[in-house]
Amino acid sequence: MKVNRRSFLKSAAGAGVGLSFGGLGFNLREAKAAAREFKLEGSREYTSICTFCACGCGMICHVKEGKLINLEGDPDHIVNEGGLCSKGASMSVIPNSGERVKTPLYRAPGSDSWQEITWEEAIERTAAALKKARDEHWTAAETENGKTYQVNRCDAASIVGGAQVHNEECYLMAKMARTLGLVYVEHQARLCHSSTVPALSGSFGRGAMTNSWNDLKNAKVILIEGSNAAENHPMSMKWIMRAKEAGACVIHVDPRFTRTSKIADIHAQIRPGTDIAFLGSVINYVLENNLYDKDFVLNHTNALLLINKDFSFSEGLFSGYDELDKKYDSSSWSYRLDGFGKPLKAASLDDPACVFSKLKAHFSRYDIKTASGITGIPEEKIRLIAETYAKNGPGTVMYALGMTQHTVGVQNIRCFGVLQLLLGYMGKPGTGINALRGEPNVQGSTDFALLFNYFPGYLSSPTHKQQTLAEWTKSYGTFRAKFFINLLKAWYGDKASASNDYLYGLLPKMNANTNYSIYRIFETASEGKMKFLYIMGQNPMVTSPNLNLVHKGLCGLETLVVADPFMTETASFWEKPGTDPKTVNTEVIFLPAASFLEKEGTLINSSRMVQWRYAGIDPVGAAKSDLEIIDLIFTKIRDMYRNEPSENAESILAAFWDYPKQDMAEAVLKEINGYDLKTGKLLTGIAAQKDDGTTSAGNWLYSGIFMNGENLCKRRNNRTDPSGLGLYPEYAWTWPGNMRILYNRASCDATGKPYDEANKLVWWDAAAGKWAGYDVPDVPAAADGPDTPNGQRPFRMSGEGLGRLFLAKYQDMEPSGAPRDTSYVTADGPMPEFYEPVESPADNALHPSVQINPCLKYPRMPSMQLIGDRREFPYVLCTSSITEHWCGGVYTRNVPWLNELVKETFIEIPVKLASKLGIKGGDSVNVRSARGEIQVKAMVTERIQTLIINGQEVTVVWMPYNWGFKGLSTAASTNLLTIDAGDPNTWIQETKACLVNVAKA
Amino acid sequence: MGEIAMLHDVSKCTACRGCMVACKQWKNLPADKEVFIGAYQSHRDLGPYTLNLIRMREDYSGSDMKWVFSKFQCMHCGDPACARACPEYALRKEINGPVSHDDDKCVGCGYCVTNCTFSVPHIDEARKKSTKCDLCADRIEKGMVPSCAQTCTSDAILFGTRHEMAALAEKRLAVLKEKYPNACLYGVDKNDGIGGSSMMYIFTDKPSVFGFPDNPEVSKSLPFWKDYAQPGGKILMGAAAIAVGGALVANSVIGGKSSHKKGDGDHE
Repeated sequence: MKVNRRSFLKSAAGAGVGLSFGGLGFNLREAKAAAREFKLEGSREYTSICTFCACGCGMICHVKEGKLINLEGDPDHIVNEGGLCSKGASMSVIPNSGERVKTPLYRAPGSDSWQEITWEEAIERTAAALKKARDEHWTAAETENGKTYQVNRCDAASIVGGAQVHNEECYLMAKMARTLGLVYVEHQARLCHSSTVPALSGSFGRGAMTNSWNDLKNAKVILIEGSNAAENHPMSMKWIMRAKEAGACVIHVDPRFTRTSKIADIHAQIRPGTDIAFLGSVINYVLENNLYDKDFVLNHTNALLLINKDFSFSEGLFSGYDELDKKYDSSSWSYRLDGFGKPLKAASLDDPACVFSKLKAHFSRYDIKTASGITGIPEEKIRLIAETYAKNGPGTVMYALGMTQHTVGVQNIRCFGVLQLLLGYMGKPGTGINALRGEPNVQGSTDFALLFNYFPGYLSSPTHKQQTLAEWTKSYGTFRAKFFINLLKAWYGDKASASNDYLYGLLPKMNANTNYSIYRIFETASEGKMKFLYIMGQNPMVTSPNLNLVHKGLCGLETLVVADPFMTETASFWEKPGTDPKTVNTEVIFLPAASFLEKEGTLINSSRMVQWRYAGIDPVGAAKSDLEIIDLIFTKIRDMYRNEPSENAESILAAFWDYPKQDMAEAVLKEINGYDLKTGKLLTGIAAQKDDGTTSAGNWLYSGIFMNGENLCKRRNNRTDPSGLGLYPEYAWTWPGNMRILYNRASCDATGKPYDEANKLVWWDAAAGKWAGYDVPDVPAAADGPDTPNGQRPFRMSGEGLGRLFLAKYQDMEPSGAPRDTSYVTADGPMPEFYEPVESPADNALHPSVQINPCLKYPRMPSMQLIGDRREFPYVLCTSSITEHWCGGVYTRNVPWLNELVKETFIEIPVKLASKLGIKGGDSVNVRSARGEIQVKAMVTERIQTLIINGQEVTVVWMPYNWGFKGLSTAASTNLLTIDAGDPNTWIQETKACLVNVAKA
Repeated sequence: MGEIAMLHDVSKCTACRGCMVACKQWKNLPADKEVFIGAYQSHRDLGPYTLNLIRMREDYSGSDMKWVFSKFQCMHCGDPACARACPEYALRKEINGPVSHDDDKCVGCGYCVTNCTFSVPHIDEARKKSTKCDLCADRIEKGMVPSCAQTCTSDAILFGTRHEMAALAEKRLAVLKEKYPNACLYGVDKNDGIGGSSMMYIFTDKPSVFGFPDNPEVSKSLPFWKDYAQPGGKILMGAAAIAVGGALVANSVIGGKSSHKKGDGDHE
């Protein structure tokens, strides 16, 4: 029985009492009084979307006399049904807060104070500083091995931010940055989920969460690992509870017993950084006990494909390792190919050369006893989890930063890919891999590529070796080249044509051997090489690891520009306690940004659902939206170059940039959706894009967001769900093409018949001669049936069209011989292998000679990147966030209602360690790592237990990282302690496992 | 439709504390200046500005961690001691369930504080008024559900007719009993010591584990007072009973007026 609040409301309305509860006889004295002064009387409503994790919860905002007087969950929203967690529920504070910055501010070099400036001056200064960095540090060309390459880039200016702002803002920022020749273009996704994209796209073809929040209810077993979903994605709990009511079992694997463990049926405490050992043993258990889904494995994965005979793995290293370079030559990680370049297939899974056999051999070392010794999880619990998870499908995985933030982050997540493919838990309701994205628009800022290695739509950034579009296509295939042409048409308009290579030549070309990640922005800045940094909606002085290095970097800049609704630790780094402002010569420009409640535009939640936010109130003070700010900066720079022609201005002057002041967000969204340039009409979808320059699309994935002039992301039909599975196809819009569950072709067998008729998503409709379904079928062409090659590409976005248990090096060729698409290969091996964290309390039990990820390059800056020894720093520190505060805390620490719930940074210490050190709950303790020391309060708890790791006791402590020295709630920043060693695929830092010492203060 | 009720299913609560913030947001209540006490528990107790509190308690048996969360607020008792004790008729049990509080009549004497079975009301010293949850009577009147129930992320706080909520509670109990043998309902039975309540619970263990009295009772000496004090009550008392009631006023004063909890004036 489901008595939800909405039905209660509806029944009230249905009883003919309208919105009054007179029918209940609720004629109280109070109610009479309330009627006189009902809070919402005379107010108007508008809807918005929450600005914290990427659940994408709907909000209803009430405005009276221009003031936001109330904000609550939107009962008609399909994700939250009226609910909001403590953070979301507190947001009416934001436009009313006295802490908001209301005018642009300027801090001169060496000054100890801010001065108010006008917007004109702020934009002028910003544009001038950016132009100066470009003009003085422009690299037109560079030479390698005697050959000169045109590169058109500036390595001395950088952009950071995007996960907090709208898609349109991310898009314009990417367009501005790239047309200005910037390659240091980064944001929070690098630090939170960058490892997700290669792991998931390598396994399946796309890098995003596969299913949806609503779909969690369809699972029968839910594995939550490396995620504290109850705290950091609170609304997921609504759907987990629905699953539990229907009998689902929830398994939680985490270093602590958290609020998520509280609702789990099985909880296992794992040592941070050992997920591959644990999941490897589950994979091994599935393989050894024939618990895999044979039909799925045979038809939908690359299990049968034959692997190159030169491939090997021994003592922790795959074939092709170059010890000097710490790099693999991946050529042996390939298939045996036929004469047409297609992979050869084994007759059965028993063929020792096929992927399946390689996988089986590889994971055979991960027996439960070994895994227990490494992870600290008791053997019987690993067995219970493996049995429960494998035998109670459909099963889904939920993970977050507990998996991503490791030097083996990508391979951690790859384990899920392997496990889900083996069990057939992909493409069906209640299955998939739910990468829980943690910022409101981090999926969008990733889609729009505020990451150095991509252009919008996951088009790989051109390197110096790809001087022409043809050269780029040789690496990434014709399938994606078409989208690149559409992007260039959106960026350069009429000026881009086939005859000038669509002005591809003007784009900045990264040096193929250089890491341009956010870590390098601060490292190069600390060396004086980075001159200019623009930050929007990000607070690296709290959220980045190894904060002393971040601070040194900020001190080394010439100009820092920060756009944010509140003052941040990053913008005011020069007044950090212990810093003498006189010694800091960075000029700082602070631009007051409108909050999410004060501007319109779209954002996309973790389930790829794009939603529209309305601007219901005016920006506070003189604040402006990031969209308007970006537009002002770009047009100012363009004016400067128009007046002062320069050889590095060609791309800027060629860019199409002419946006209306009114409804700018929708105009930009239309550019993103794309146009048929012959008719001037909006494109109707990805399929409408052409490769001949007659169409444009700023991000191919978003084509089709407009249909017949309607902006589909504004849709709010929460009634239509014919499948009953929670797809709601007419609610907002999801990419690609409104598809709700990715890879849904895999929910059918080879003949196109659903594996589970009662919970079917799509199917081959033989009578109609097309794929049909409740969801948009994930097939290359709707009319290509199961008897065609296209009908057997359940993972069509990978080169092979199959789910990839083994990440083989593979390029799918067109009959013409041109590469069509290229499958992603991880840098550190085609299958996951366990390595210890850089700072670890234990030796690698699998291969003592290869302790850590062999491809890891660290330290990059030895003087600032010290590695702690376990004798000096005996305890493992794990860090993460909490329900009540969010990320850098810029919003939440300015909300008194949240500060009363959680007041300051603290450290969770197991009772056993606390008694040894004489620490009681509430005591002050000093926590020290090789990189810094801070003082925080102790929380002594039994929720973390001492682990036995290969016979030795290992103690784990945990801290939230959300505090700094600004805002209404100030406390020590945990990231002073954390390590910035990074995964070799994406450089994501190991904030989940470093070593510390703890002492009573 | 009849009586209404709120139901907290503690097995579903994740202590996201959205309900605490939503309550303050709707009622424009300020934050309290609380200090870190070495636990996630935010406030030690309810207060004049905190009418709804999630209590969190860790219980480690040596092998199994139990972290129990429960919502603490006015129970809206069927037989409310506060209303019986209130000399100003400011508190009243409404026929639809909520125990209402009339701010205009309240003089902040604190008899309700002293006599409440659950120690819920707190005096706002600044205004000299008693405070407690009113079940968002203003929202209910407009067809909206109480703020806390609306905002709950995990469907742990439900709101509806008492009949629906009681049926749901019974159903959930049957399911939870399998995993939690001590699971029980609280406030659902109108024959319990408080006459049932409009704030009802599904507990996964004995009530005392969640900080509630296992067998809640209204002080034996209070009923007469209620019957005297409530003009709408079932029995209109004669002069003799009024005299008894008068004696009880004295009792209450002796029992606790001096021990009123100070309203937390130190707030943001």
